[in-house]
Amino acid sequence: MRIYSLFVYVFLYTPIAIIALFSFSAGRSASQFEGFSLKWYGRALNNPFVMEALGNSLLVAFVSATLASILGTLAAVGLQGIKGPARSLFDAIIYIAVMIPGIVIGIATLIALVTVFDVVNPWLASVWPEGREPPALSMGMPSLIAAHTMFTLALVVLIVRARLQGLEGALSEASADLYAPPMRTFRLITLPLIAPAILAGFLLSFTFSFDDFIIAFFVAGSETTLPIYIFSSIRRGVTPEVNAIGTMVMLASLVLLVIAQLILRRSDKS
Amino acid sequence: MTERERNWLLVAPAGAWLLVMLVLPLSVVLIFSFGERAPAGGWVPAFTLEQYANLPARLTAFQNTLTLAPLGTLAALIIAYPLAYQLAVRTDPKWKTILLVLVIVPFWTSILIRSYAWIFILGGQGLPALLGVFGFEGVRLIYTPFAVTVGIVYGYLPLMVFPIYVALDRLDKRLLEASSDLGARPLTTFLRVTLPMSISGIATGCMLVFILLMGEFLIPALLGGGKVFFVGNALVDLFLQSRNWAFGSAVAVMLILVMLVTVTIYMRLIARLSATREDVSIM
Amino acid sequence: MKDRSYISKRKFMEELRRYEKGSVTRRHFLGVTGLGTATAVMAGAFPGLRPSSALAGSHIGDRVVLATWPNYHDPENFEIFTDQTGAFTQVNVFGSNEEMLAKLQAGGSGWDVYVPTNYTITTYVEEDLIEPLDLSKLPNYDPDAFDPRFADAGIVDGVVYAVPKNWGTTGIASNTSHNGGAAIDSWKDFFDRTMDDFSGRTMVHDYQLTTIGAALNYHGYSFNSVDEAELADAEKLLINVKPHLFAITSDYQPAMRSGDAWLTICWTGDGKQLNTDIPEIAFALGKEGGELWSDYYAIPKGAPHMEAAYALINFMLDPEVNAREVLAHGYPVADSRTNALLPEEILNDPILYPAAERLDALEFGAAATLTDPNRAELLARFKSA
Repeated sequence: MRIYSLFVYVFLYTPIAIIALFSFSAGRSASQFEGFSLKWYGRALNNPFVMEALGNSLLVAFVSATLASILGTLAAVGLQGIKGPARSLFDAIIYIAVMIPGIVIGIATLIALVTVFDVVNPWLASVWPEGREPPALSMGMPSLIAAHTMFTLALVVLIVRARLQGLEGALSEASADLYAPPMRTFRLITLPLIAPAILAGFLLSFTFSFDDFIIAFFVAGSETTLPIYIFSSIRRGVTPEVNAIGTMVMLASLVLLVIAQLILRRSDKS
Repeated sequence: MTERERNWLLVAPAGAWLLVMLVLPLSVVLIFSFGERAPAGGWVPAFTLEQYANLPARLTAFQNTLTLAPLGTLAALIIAYPLAYQLAVRTDPKWKTILLVLVIVPFWTSILIRSYAWIFILGGQGLPALLGVFGFEGVRLIYTPFAVTVGIVYGYLPLMVFPIYVALDRLDKRLLEASSDLGARPLTTFLRVTLPMSISGIATGCMLVFILLMGEFLIPALLGGGKVFFVGNALVDLFLQSRNWAFGSAVAVMLILVMLVTVTIYMRLIARLSATREDVSIM
Repeated sequence: MKDRSYISKRKFMEELRRYEKGSVTRRHFLGVTGLGTATAVMAGAFPGLRPSSALAGSHIGDRVVLATWPNYHDPENFEIFTDQTGAFTQVNVFGSNEEMLAKLQAGGSGWDVYVPTNYTITTYVEEDLIEPLDLSKLPNYDPDAFDPRFADAGIVDGVVYAVPKNWGTTGIASNTSHNGGAAIDSWKDFFDRTMDDFSGRTMVHDYQLTTIGAALNYHGYSFNSVDEAELADAEKLLINVKPHLFAITSDYQPAMRSGDAWLTICWTGDGKQLNTDIPEIAFALGKEGGELWSDYYAIPKGAPHMEAAYALINFMLDPEVNAREVLAHGYPVADSRTNALLPEEILNDPILYPAAERLDALEFGAAATLTDPNRAELLARFKSA
């Protein structure tokens, strides 16, 4: 059993080790090691396109995860009190949002928005005051954030609602005991209780958005996120720069995880 | 403001968002699927069932997907279950968290980069060269369905380990002790106690992996060498190569239908297998 | 402050050391370092290109996005362009003209410069996706220097939409050590051998024009055929061959280099690059025919960094820069000024400049293949089979 587990860990980490190993290669090839060097780390950090892609990815992930956490939590709380066909319809839409493959979401969003823009842009141009450049809607960061928020919002609804269902009895009792108005009950009792679920939803959303390639591939327009940059690099013939980026992102996530653990432990003790 | 109004107000923003970014796009796809390809590519309005009539042209893509997705899910389950069991039941609590985290960490490197590493490992200078040393000459791994399956299992293993671990971890260890105290052999204990108690985790893990595999595009593209063709690859080609938005929309509609049907059947099946229904639902 | 004169002292010393160690040729060394004078003169003539001032950088912006093909540039040229103008070049690589067209049709590609192939340009003009070029911003473009055969496709109805980049052929690269030292030089052999002793070792492009074209050539049809019966024959061949293929990909160099694959449909420059590094890999034109093509630099409608786009194209048209491109990627140019700078052995290279009678057997791609729905659908059926 133990040996088996060990094998699985070897399976999980061999590709990672290879990625990390070649990130230190001095040569141009990502599959032949030609002496130790840190130059690809320098290249990656000084490449404005890598930095911009990283910035875009972080921004999209942060904004969409935040929006999804807020809207998703509100919806989950509101849904507690809604019954009947409206509720079933909403549930079905959430179910579809989670189940539909990213590739379909990407394509559907692309053709829908392109079609809408084709109608809206000429109209905007016609009503825009004479002599000024009319705005033209196009695919970009806003469309990408909107698409990611849609998907992750559904995730947050599911996670927070599961938590709320677990608390149902306790919550109604507590609020009845307090004779408290709904807002106060929510702020003082519900929110602290579902906070872990909201946090989990936020982190899951962030991770999903940060790592998503396929939706961004169709929806991001001219913007480049980190996965799009990496995909383009793989096509071009990978240099160890991509390995360096991957290794750095993984290390950064690890450091964040350790910090989060430390904070959680400290707050547990106090 | 009545409570009813308040509830609706809370749901409204999320509802509006889903309407604009999910219901509207899917409706556009549905409408486009009845249209026609513009001469230079794109879409022109029409009402024709021609695109649906042409669906058999992508039959192999659907067959490949419906073969490799369940196969990949099963392979991931077989590899993940013993590990999840080991972590949940047999591991010192001190080490549990760290070992579990170690399963997830690879997940934080882009799936693109991880798959690229497999191109090297499965390529002629990787594993086949190693096998050659042991006398197995001429083994070809890269750009085969096998390579795609390895990539799939590798890519989605954590999604399988996690829910099973959670289910097994919730399991009261005293039940296992009781079972063996009552004289049950380990295998009996596993089949009669452990496995049924972890069905919910298995169901969730399989569902997650299966859903993701049905829409997979990257792994077959990178590790299949253009020869292992999923519906996802067919879709990308239809929109990015032949620019046939009408037919692409029909394929997308079909994919959604196939998924709805398989997932519904699957949920029914699991529900019948397991004692409690709520456990199974991913919702 | 970074020394932004054309080639810095440090860079010069580096190049000198590389030259002394023998890791670069004398030509490379002279090419890189000698360029300093030329650019200094040019910078005087065209203030917009003046390299060293910070203003020059802000004039064209700090970036330019280029959509191009794999293995098609000398990375060093981009570094020089950055040193000279302050603008970084982001390179997006594509596998087929269809994919480029799809991205532009969907809108918001974000590209400043792209590299369409001859037969696609009329479609871009019809679809209003290509910017007519302002030649006053391309002082390095001298129409008289170009062989019209490889420049004409850039001009549609008298308007210049694109300027020539390179030209080349689509042929066959084979690893001769698996064929008794001989190159495979016909499409008949290409497919027949694939179904025989080269089984599992052959690659074809993920690209309708060349892959379907090769199968059409096998049957003795035109590379550009859109005839239904002829396409049906080509499809049958491709479906039969598919189980014997190593991969369907337009990025075939890595597998040829690693030895995993032995035979591939191949463009001139890739053939040259492979042959230079691994002499056993030979490049040959198919006896039955094949493609003759020319690529162009063009600017898509609505390019976000228009000035940088012109600066990059103009930079690439500089004969010395262009000559370095050729040495790096091995595709011939139609520019006599550039050819004058290239060494004899390149101009006499049978891979780059095949004998005239071999070229006559080849065909330029036809615009109809790009938009023909049957060819696109055929490739998709082949891939999904």
